[in-house]
Amino acid sequence: MNTKFRINLISISLSLISTLLIVFVFLLILNKNPFEIFSVIFTEVFASGYGIGQTLFKATPLIICGCGLAVCFHASLFNIGAEGQLNAGSFVIALVALKAGSLPFPILFILCIVCGFVVSGITGIIPAYIKIKKGVSEVITTIMLNFIILALVNYFLVDFFAVKATMHTEKIADSNMLMKFSDIFPFFEGSSLNMSFVIALLLAFASYIFIYKTKFGYKLRAAGFNETASRYIGININKVILLSFFTGAGITSLAGINYIFGYKGFYEMGFSSNVGFTAIAVALLARNNPLGIIFSSLLFAVLDYGGLSVNQLVPKEIMLVVQGIIILSILAVDRIVKSYFEKRGIA
Amino acid sequence: MELISSVISLTFLAQVLRLMTPYYLGASGANFSERGGVINIAIEGFMNLAAFSFVLFSILTGNVTAGFICAVLINLLFSLFFSYFTVKLKINQIVTGVGFNLLIAGLTKFLLVYIFNSSSNTERFEGIPDLEIFKGIPFAGTVLSDYMTIFCFALIFISGFVLFRTKYGLRLRSAGENPYAAESLGVNVRLYKLSGILISGFLSSLAGIWLASNQNSYSDGMIAGRGYIALAAMIIGKWKPVNIFFACLIFSAFEALEITLQISGTDFPTQLIQMLPYLITVLVLVGFIGKTKPPAADGVPY
Amino acid sequence: MHCLKMTAVEFINITKKFGSFFANRDISFSVEKNTVHCILGENGAGKTTLMKILFGMYRQDSGSLKISGEDIRFNSPHDAIAKGIGMVHQHFMLIDDFTVMENIILGNEITKGIRIDFDKTAGILNELISTYSLNLDINKKISEISISAQQKTEILKLLFRNSDILIFDEPTAVLSPAETDEFFKIIGKFKSSGKTIIFITHKLNEVRKISDKVSVLRRGMLVYESSNENRNLDLNILSQAIVGETVVKANTEKADIVFPGNDGRNAISLRNIFLKKDNVSRLKGLNLDLYKGEIHGICGVEGNGQNEIIDIITGLETEFEGEFSNPGCSISLVPDDRLKKGMISEFTIGENIILKKKSSNFISERLLDRISTETAEKYDVRVSDIKSNLSSLSGGNQQKVIFARETELESDVMIFSHPTRGVDINATVFIHSKIIEQRNKGKAVLLISSDLDELFALSDKISVIYNGAIAGTFGSEELSNFRNEELIRKSDESTGSPLSDKIGKLMIGIKTE
Repeated sequence: MNTKFRINLISISLSLISTLLIVFVFLLILNKNPFEIFSVIFTEVFASGYGIGQTLFKATPLIICGCGLAVCFHASLFNIGAEGQLNAGSFVIALVALKAGSLPFPILFILCIVCGFVVSGITGIIPAYIKIKKGVSEVITTIMLNFIILALVNYFLVDFFAVKATMHTEKIADSNMLMKFSDIFPFFEGSSLNMSFVIALLLAFASYIFIYKTKFGYKLRAAGFNETASRYIGININKVILLSFFTGAGITSLAGINYIFGYKGFYEMGFSSNVGFTAIAVALLARNNPLGIIFSSLLFAVLDYGGLSVNQLVPKEIMLVVQGIIILSILAVDRIVKSYFEKRGIA
Repeated sequence: MELISSVISLTFLAQVLRLMTPYYLGASGANFSERGGVINIAIEGFMNLAAFSFVLFSILTGNVTAGFICAVLINLLFSLFFSYFTVKLKINQIVTGVGFNLLIAGLTKFLLVYIFNSSSNTERFEGIPDLEIFKGIPFAGTVLSDYMTIFCFALIFISGFVLFRTKYGLRLRSAGENPYAAESLGVNVRLYKLSGILISGFLSSLAGIWLASNQNSYSDGMIAGRGYIALAAMIIGKWKPVNIFFACLIFSAFEALEITLQISGTDFPTQLIQMLPYLITVLVLVGFIGKTKPPAADGVPY
Repeated sequence: MHCLKMTAVEFINITKKFGSFFANRDISFSVEKNTVHCILGENGAGKTTLMKILFGMYRQDSGSLKISGEDIRFNSPHDAIAKGIGMVHQHFMLIDDFTVMENIILGNEITKGIRIDFDKTAGILNELISTYSLNLDINKKISEISISAQQKTEILKLLFRNSDILIFDEPTAVLSPAETDEFFKIIGKFKSSGKTIIFITHKLNEVRKISDKVSVLRRGMLVYESSNENRNLDLNILSQAIVGETVVKANTEKADIVFPGNDGRNAISLRNIFLKKDNVSRLKGLNLDLYKGEIHGICGVEGNGQNEIIDIITGLETEFEGEFSNPGCSISLVPDDRLKKGMISEFTIGENIILKKKSSNFISERLLDRISTETAEKYDVRVSDIKSNLSSLSGGNQQKVIFARETELESDVMIFSHPTRGVDINATVFIHSKIIEQRNKGKAVLLISSDLDELFALSDKISVIYNGAIAGTFGSEELSNFRNEELIRKSDESTGSPLSDKIGKLMIGIKTE
């Protein structure tokens, strides 16, 4: 356990270092000064309460979505459909928050979470069911479902629920918004950081317990490691697939809380800005460990917010390139490091 | 009524055959990779990369041929890179594919802004010129004037012949069915896997080039899942060149229908029309798949 | 015949390490031309590794190889094939979806222009088939032919490549006795046509029957060599060389349980079961009864329906016809392939056990450690760190963990499928005693094995399975008669006893009565 943890740490650090080097070279090729860019990111992110707050704010949906994906990935289910799943759930959360706005806040909030969870969960059950019944790989179905769900949400939003000439729903009552950190700590003045961040942390701990400390978590991971053996051991694989897809997809819906209850007060098309895909990298970097996901989400949030801050120097889309490089270097470095230790009989 | 008559027409049929091109190129490419035992989800990204680099270098050099060559070479380079991950390092092929797709999507988005100063699309350029000889032939002319569509028809036979009648095909398939057996007979499994991936990189670059050429520009998200749909066509076509061709026709027929519907201006919501190709893909996969059997060692790192 | 013996292969100080483990250590010996040379040793003694070095699949860390006196360094099997070396692997290297012909020509295709010349190839193959009377249809797919036909395909591969040095890795493990005899005849033909045969096995009587010379490996080292030109090997010395100690016999003493017969203690019954999978009939009217307090052995060549029986009894297979009754008995299974079916190698001992054990929904580290420690003590699992994953344990210790998990459940029905395959002798003894213990506790035990000795030693009743149905059943009386005969037979070593003869024939579908 200890050596395993150490090797993971070595491999994660090495992959981050190699990403940094690649990006460094990439920036030089583009004739940009890497030092200038890195220092701008650093000061923008860490030098002010606002910067820190914005970074934590950006990390919130990543933590949530990353935990959802981790549940699926542990069961060896390649859920690439988080983007669609979380939009379906978030859309419903916003609608419920509007239609049932008169309920007392705690009840309203729980109702929203339950509805969003169930709707996203159901969008996760579709590929699970197709996989079980027809043996179709979830990779293609979840990708297709991204397109389908986003088109459907777009249709319902534009034709029925949107404020005229916009792509968003009406705003929920101010009294139903979550508390902002800056209300208590003036340090975060101006930042959108809100209680959703606390919810995300709690969720990460709950996911950790669920995956590593419950019987179902063990079964889920067993099925992920070795499906045939799990079947013979008596684990109901179909149940594992359905439940982990439902739970994983359901969790992603909560990513919308940050935007709807904590920031704008409405659902907006495109609000997620590819969190569902970024979360894949987040989960991979953390080896699907929810506690690790907190940290990898922070890293990606730094990239995201940092990208905005250097937009004058280099287009913010550079951070999408960095994300891609991180994923690939995690994959490559991890394999190289592990085989290095295996050859020496350590791992 | 008008709609029905516009669907049952030779123009529509010609449209279906034309739109089949990128699907079949992508699906055949993926098939060579999978016959060698490597699942290549990165087809989507490869198509994207080729479309972008084709437009970029065509505009930079002012020469479509130069753009074409650059796009193919860049794709081959990335294919090589992809095989380093999947064949040399033996990393999970699906995760690698997803990683490549995200990297390429980021790269094209970034370069689009960086070079063309636009987050949505490039300037227009002249794509690959039509083949003039057959242009006069009624109806068939639109299909036959496209180099790549003609190449697709040839590709049905070429890939069938290569896979099932040649030494190369036998060895490639052996690498995808049982690499250990192949290696025991002296077949260099990794080399064949690599070759399958390179062919998939080449064919998917043609698919991307075709899409960009027909649109006369590159725009963000223009591949729109066609690479994944091509993979679905390959699965439905049971990894057989002729069957894959028919599977691609199903998808291109629905794309043609989507276009016809949008042009005809029905009051059917556009979002739902745009959803059609993806919905059909899922439905067809669910309906057709039943007993399809991939190469025995498909997806298993060796 | 040459008077002077020529050397075909010479191993000189071959050493091969995997990590810190010596698979081969300083091995030197030579194989003479036109002989049958047997290499003996337990699982993991290094036989296959050595052969893979000879065949170019592995490269030795130090030492050298000579073929016909010439120094050789192979980089791949291709080099070895070019030097006239061919190998039939223990697990056949065949492609199920290819035809026999495609399998054979792969890597050495005959071409006309850029296409493969299938007609010319067929001519050559059919000629070889008739020369060596192999009786094989080259246009059938591997998935459609029997195991012995698959082996013939492997042999034909070597002939097609004009191999002079033929390596066989445990070729008879998958064959019925009659097929084995046929196989030995083919070996005879090879020898008379001047080929050299290297034969890996651990069946001693086969060694005496066909070898000219034997070499024994133990723990990666060459420990014994002997010539067998007069067919008079001392099997006792040989078996001691293999094991390195006097063979321990399992304590097969059984508690005196009166065999219940049909008096209502029937645990599981299968009546007239038919099962089709992928359009192939796997079970064809199979009948089987398991009784409490009885070990029911199933004997047969693999792939005759054994796994399907397991799947039905454990409830994994539900789409069969016929009557399956289980009056509420709980079922435990120790499967044949532990890596694939038996365990999660990324989990620790405790984690593997908790998957099946009744426990609360929340699982603490302390609980897992306790389970691991207790299991390791009770089942003699040798492990340095209780928190290490199962993948770092030896095969025998992994098997003990699976045994622990399944037997601790105290299920009414215990299924053991090839329980001692790939397990060293000490673990085998331990596992055999545990199987007997289960029976003595009154469990219904189903023992599936291809090891006749194991079946005879443990079973109260043996059924022979052939082609998806039970071909014959032998009760306790016949078996105890057999055991007594066996004691007498030990001294005079004639050919098989009437019972094992009968079983052998049933295994390939020949009824004697």
